[in-house]
Amino acid sequence: MPNKITIWKLRNNNPLRKSHINNDIKLEEFDALIKITVEMSKYLYPYIRQILKSKEEPQKNSVIWNDFYKRFTELIKERFNINSIRVKKLLNQSDNYEIIIKSLLMLSLCISNEGYKKLKYFLFYS
Amino acid sequence: MLQNKLSFHQSSVSLEITGLPDLSNNEYKDQISIISEWKLNIIDKPLIEGRIEHLGPIIDAFYIYSNLLVTNNIPLYESKLIDIKAENIHMHNIVLKSSKSDVKPLTIKIGNSLLSDIVNCFDQLNESSKVKIKKSDTFDNIHKKVKSPLKNKVRYIEYFMPPFISICSLILLSYTVIYFYSPLENKEKNELISPK
Repeated sequence: MPNKITIWKLRNNNPLRKSHINNDIKLEEFDALIKITVEMSKYLYPYIRQILKSKEEPQKNSVIWNDFYKRFTELIKERFNINSIRVKKLLNQSDNYEIIIKSLLMLSLCISNEGYKKLKYFLFYS
Repeated sequence: MLQNKLSFHQSSVSLEITGLPDLSNNEYKDQISIISEWKLNIIDKPLIEGRIEHLGPIIDAFYIYSNLLVTNNIPLYESKLIDIKAENIHMHNIVLKSSKSDVKPLTIKIGNSLLSDIVNCFDQLNESSKVKIKKSDTFDNIHKKVKSPLKNKVRYIEYFMPPFISICSLILLSYTVIYFYSPLENKEKNELISPK
C-alpha cells in the first residue's frame, strides 16, 4: 500500500458502497487489506471484547451495544447503497444481528501475529 | 535445576506453562521444551490444569470449536477429554472430563469474550519461540489450507472481500467514534460559547 489514497480506492471495490468502482483488486492488495484489518482489530480488541461481552449480560451493559449498533447502522446508511437487497439485509434488525456478532467474533479471534492467516481462512470457509 | 515458567495473558485469561529446556539439544536456558505442568486461569472460573498430554487436545478443541462457530457450521465439539457446545450465539458450555473415574466432569460456561481470550492465549503459545511443543495440528492446517485455495478463489474474493472488509472497518470505525465522542462535553462547550 503506497499511500492512504490506494486504500481509499480499494475500499471502493465494495459493490455495496455508494461510490462503487470496479478496480481489479490484486492478490497482494487483498493480503494488505487483511493485514490492515488484523492490525486494527489488535488495536481495538478491548472495545470489540466489550461489545461482545455486553450481549452476554444484556441487563448490565446494553448501552455499549446500543451505541455501537446505532453508529454501525448510521454508517451503513451514510456510505452504502441502501437500495441494494444485501444492504437492506444488513440494516434489517432481525437479519443483521448474527452477521454482526460473527464478524466481531471473527475479528477478535484473529489478533495474534499470524492472525491474518486465520482471518483469510475464516473468510474462505465461512 | 530450576524450572522455567512462562505466562501468556489476554484480558481475563492467562496460560501458565512450566517446564525445562532440552539442554542436550543446545536450547537456551529460558526455553521450555519439556513441559511438566500447565494452568489455564480464567477470572471467576475454576482453574483448568493438567498434564502435557491434555494440553494438545484442549488447544485443538478450542481451535476446532471456534472455527466451527465462525464458519457457520454446527458449533459442537466432543471428545474423551472435553466437550464444547453452544448454548446460544453468545454463550458456550465447556465440559472437562477427568481420566479418573471418581472425579465428576467440570462444567464451565463462557461467553464469546472469554472464548476469544482463551483462543488468543493459545495463539500466543503456538507463536512463542520460547516454548517448543508440538504445534497444534489445527493451527498448522489453517496456515496450510489458506495457501492452496487462494489462487483458485481470486474471483470469489474479488466479489465478496470488499463488502466484508468494509463491514469490518465500519464496525471498527463506529466503535472508535463512539469511544471518543462525548456528547456531554460538546453540550458544555456549546453552553460556554453561547451562555443564555
